[in-house]
Amino acid sequence: MEETSTSASAGTAAHGRQRAFPPARSGVFYRFTQQNLPAWKPAMTPGCVITIFLVIGVTFVPVGLVCLRASKHVTEIVHRYDIDCLPNAYKRNKQAYIKNSSISKNCTQMVKVKYYMRAPIYVYYELDNFYQNHRRYVKSRSDKQLHYGQKYTDSSCGPIERNDGLPVVPCGLIAWSLFNDTYGFTRGSTQVKVNRKNISWKSDRESKFGKDVYPFNFQNGSLIGGRRLDHHLPLSEQEDLIVWMRTAALPQFRKLYGVIEEDLHVDEIIIMHIENNYNTYSFGGKKSLILTTSSWLGGKNDFLGYAYLGTGSLSLFLTILFALIHVKNPM
Amino acid sequence: MFTLITLYSTIIPISLYVSIEMIKFIQCTQFINNDLHMYHAESNTPALARTSNLNEELGQVEYIFSDKTGTLTRNLMEFFKCSIGGEMYGTGITEIEKGGAERAGVRIDGDEDKRSAAAVHEKGFNFDDARIMRGAWRNESNPEACKEFFRCLALCHTVLPEGEETPEKISYQAASPDEAALVAAAKNFGFFFYRRTPTTVIVRESHVERMGSIQDVQYEILNVLEFNSTRKRQSVVCRFPNGRLVLYCKGADNVIYERLADGNHVMKKTSREHLEQFGSAGLRTLCLAYRDLSREQYESWNEKFIQAKSSLRDRDKKLDEVAELIEKDLILIGCTAIEDKLQEGVPACIETLSAAGIKIWVLTGDKMETAINIAYACSLVNNDMKQFIISSETDAIREVEDRGDPVEIARIIKDSVKQSLKSYHEEAQHSLISTPGRKLALIIDGKCLMYALDPTLRVDLLGLSLICHSVVCCRVSPLQKAQVTSLVKKGARKITLSIGDGANDVSMIQAAHVGIGISGQEGMQAVMASDFAIAQFRYLTDLLLVHGRWSYLRLCKVITYFFYKNLTFTLTQFWFTFQTGFSGQRFYDDWFQSLYNVIFTALPVIIVGLFDKDVNASLSKKYPQLYQEGIRNSFFKWRVIAVWAFFAFYQSIVFYYFTAAASQHGHGSSGKILGLWDVSTMAFTCVVVTVNLRLLMACNSITRWHYFSVAGSIAAWFLFIFIYSAIMTSFDRQENEYFVIYVLMSTFFFYLTLLLVPIIALFGDFLYLSIQRWLFPYNYQIIQEMHKDDPHEYSMIQLPERSHLSPEEARSYAISMLPRETSKHTGFAFDSPGYESFFASQQGVGVPHKPWDVARRASMKKQRQQPQRSERS
Repeated sequence: MEETSTSASAGTAAHGRQRAFPPARSGVFYRFTQQNLPAWKPAMTPGCVITIFLVIGVTFVPVGLVCLRASKHVTEIVHRYDIDCLPNAYKRNKQAYIKNSSISKNCTQMVKVKYYMRAPIYVYYELDNFYQNHRRYVKSRSDKQLHYGQKYTDSSCGPIERNDGLPVVPCGLIAWSLFNDTYGFTRGSTQVKVNRKNISWKSDRESKFGKDVYPFNFQNGSLIGGRRLDHHLPLSEQEDLIVWMRTAALPQFRKLYGVIEEDLHVDEIIIMHIENNYNTYSFGGKKSLILTTSSWLGGKNDFLGYAYLGTGSLSLFLTILFALIHVKNPM
Repeated sequence: MFTLITLYSTIIPISLYVSIEMIKFIQCTQFINNDLHMYHAESNTPALARTSNLNEELGQVEYIFSDKTGTLTRNLMEFFKCSIGGEMYGTGITEIEKGGAERAGVRIDGDEDKRSAAAVHEKGFNFDDARIMRGAWRNESNPEACKEFFRCLALCHTVLPEGEETPEKISYQAASPDEAALVAAAKNFGFFFYRRTPTTVIVRESHVERMGSIQDVQYEILNVLEFNSTRKRQSVVCRFPNGRLVLYCKGADNVIYERLADGNHVMKKTSREHLEQFGSAGLRTLCLAYRDLSREQYESWNEKFIQAKSSLRDRDKKLDEVAELIEKDLILIGCTAIEDKLQEGVPACIETLSAAGIKIWVLTGDKMETAINIAYACSLVNNDMKQFIISSETDAIREVEDRGDPVEIARIIKDSVKQSLKSYHEEAQHSLISTPGRKLALIIDGKCLMYALDPTLRVDLLGLSLICHSVVCCRVSPLQKAQVTSLVKKGARKITLSIGDGANDVSMIQAAHVGIGISGQEGMQAVMASDFAIAQFRYLTDLLLVHGRWSYLRLCKVITYFFYKNLTFTLTQFWFTFQTGFSGQRFYDDWFQSLYNVIFTALPVIIVGLFDKDVNASLSKKYPQLYQEGIRNSFFKWRVIAVWAFFAFYQSIVFYYFTAAASQHGHGSSGKILGLWDVSTMAFTCVVVTVNLRLLMACNSITRWHYFSVAGSIAAWFLFIFIYSAIMTSFDRQENEYFVIYVLMSTFFFYLTLLLVPIIALFGDFLYLSIQRWLFPYNYQIIQEMHKDDPHEYSMIQLPERSHLSPEEARSYAISMLPRETSKHTGFAFDSPGYESFFASQQGVGVPHKPWDVARRASMKKQRQQPQRSERS
């Protein structure tokens, strides 16, 4: 080829000179400097676009169907109880009710099981309008203290850092505001057993909360935020605390309370014995109790399935549309 | 409140600055400096980028201001043709004639054999005619005229010989290359000037007495009447060994013709015709004449000359007046034609640049005729164009100038400039409407420009010149060059580029946005002042159309992409803010936020900034129209940014809401719930994956480095999060992330989301891009479509373009085949860089120290000694 021979001669001519210019005529660096690296030129031709849409459509629609199916298999009972559990006398003065420790907070609610629920059935409480993701709230904790003990109490825990000069374990607002409603269930006259173990992530339990760290000086201040802890159990076994301390992302969130390990049958009446202690009335929060089964995908979540299905079918629609345009009006 | 605002600090990408600097630096040092297409093998000069922050402006240049000498032309004067005693000699064809012939459609076959054996080509001499070479002139019809012609060439100059005194090894140092060319011509005709003493010139004459005889003749140089721009001629008075006193004079045709003795009309007429032919061929002409002096005549004149020379006031003026006394009744010998060689490939380059929508202005210190000539040669001006000429060389102005009242002169010139500007402007606007296709050219000379640049006329000048497709400014000083440049720079608000080679171009180079110096020929001043240095004018095509355009495209892409990725990232944070009670809680871990720009999205965008190519280099040059997208700034308009911003907005919504929805329910069969940090880590993973993939979608060419960097960035994120969430440090808040990724990866939900979210996020972009390409394609996309089946260019070894016209080839065509220009103008030699630097020194611009400065000083010294000599004799 004529071109190659001239290029070779130019190369040798340049080599004779002092400056190493031009660069050696081979190798990646030469191609780099001459901006001539091998490259794939993706061109979004109609055919290519149509194919991509088709592929998306063909994969997403089935995935969406599978997800939807998984979600449909999940049955869920949601029962809001913060209003219902108010005695009629206190409907207008919720604060007085909730702050008065002499009034019994026990409350009994009934729900009917509409669909058969196979064990395990998860018991969640759901709070709404509770800003567990507020900046000051999120940072008011000391992971070091949770893990290593009260020596490591640091200022990050403010405002609940010390009480009467003694460190508070666990310190911080999050722990202080620990949710303290309790639930019990009966079907007919038998008690439904709720398993309160293994409701937190294993990693939290084993690595973040110390096995020899015990609550100390907790909820001893003038203001009581929430639940008191058993001083004889190490933090790593206080699973309610561990669940609570994994702060939620949104102001409406669910936390796992326990697991019912027996099936619930259709038309069964479940009586929920709620101890309505937690003050959500002061900030207009809502409290709900949720009983739900679970699939491989998790709880009831149609959103994912619909998103897949929607994207997939839109892709298929565009495939057809573009194909029609392309056939009618080829470029 | 302030905490809340600091959350959005990521919208300002600090790493953008670093990335862009890095990209530009590599573009300069590796691409521009190493490009073989811009490497001049003959002089071993690669292109040199002296600054690294103007790359993208190279892709948006709309106005080029070019110097002529040394930039468009080679500043290489070659004796090309001559006319002696009414006979024309020399059979070469100039590039200009060739260019004209090609445009006229006449095919000239390059045939080497047509050159005669007598053809000689050396520095300053490129002449082919056996009739007067090697003493053959003795057999011509007018040997005496030839002898005078050659003597005039050998004697009437201020050249200094240098080096060994043999015809092969000697070199001539001259104030202007024209002079050196003339002396070299004399040498080749057998009148070898080899030594100069303060008062004598020694010439080795061959074939004078008889064929083959060689003798050294010592001529006494009595006076030198130097060249200047008003005299436009130069004379020497010399005494032959036999006592004969002769005045040899050479100068511009009109000046010499005015001073000729009566008689011999036939020869004057034929010489005049020859001059016109030479002029239209783009050659620079000089007329040679002589006059025999009697001893008395000379003595009486010499007294006046000495008086004038020793006068203290107005010496120059008096010397000129004295010179007038003796430079009359001249006898015409003939005329010379010197080729001011165009740089290689200049016409083609200019044509390409014009097609790219770039307007080229020539700013030169040369005479109007020469400038127009070169403009014709470069196809800047042609006969189809409507030409507006604003010249100070009109009778009215000359008349006033003769009267010599400076105030009156200024007023008259200003009035006439104003009048012509106004009428031309109207005419131009009218022509734009009536004949839209017609191109316009403006030619203006320095003196008029001085008045046209006056604040009151500036607007008219700008308006007129912006309508014109090409503008030629001649006789302009370096300062005016700069003024014109900044007039356009400020007035038109377009990117301007100046290109020049000499010290007189420095101010212009500095005034423009982009300054380009031609390296290699004339000193280093221009290069030192420039932003880019290239060896040849024609490399502008590569520099602008390839490097400039790519740099512009790449930087646009990099900047818009940076904008997009930071906006997307920050907006997810923004949506989160609404759900934290505006408390200023961060959505992402601090380290995620810090490393987002530094590691997880840094490298791919740099790779795109370096490697992205819409079409390859040869197509960029083949379709110069592509460059107009840069001039119009099509890729960095508000519309483009708005599209990016819109999709950033859309994507951020997808990222935030799709992942946040996940926190509502339990995931996995254990029913456990994800917390804030799980959600944010999932969102961040989606952001990193999507943003990196989006970059691939924006690429026009994807090399394996793209894959490496994109895959590497995503992998870097996973590697980071695997390590980061596996360890527990005592650093601030790091525990939040402990084990998060492993928790996520234990759920199916994570994988499904990771598949879904990027595709939904990119769905909009993909749809937009495909519809845009399909229905509203950019030019480059059309070219891509047209050439998509071309073999990949990397499979061919690309070459630097070799000069397709070697100097030898250039002479090889038949003269008879050429169409003649009908223009009546003749070129005029002596317009030299030395002459321009005369202006330069007046304007305070440093003049390079050149050999001919030494020569000039030597000639001054010699003059001072001459009178004493003549008195003694």
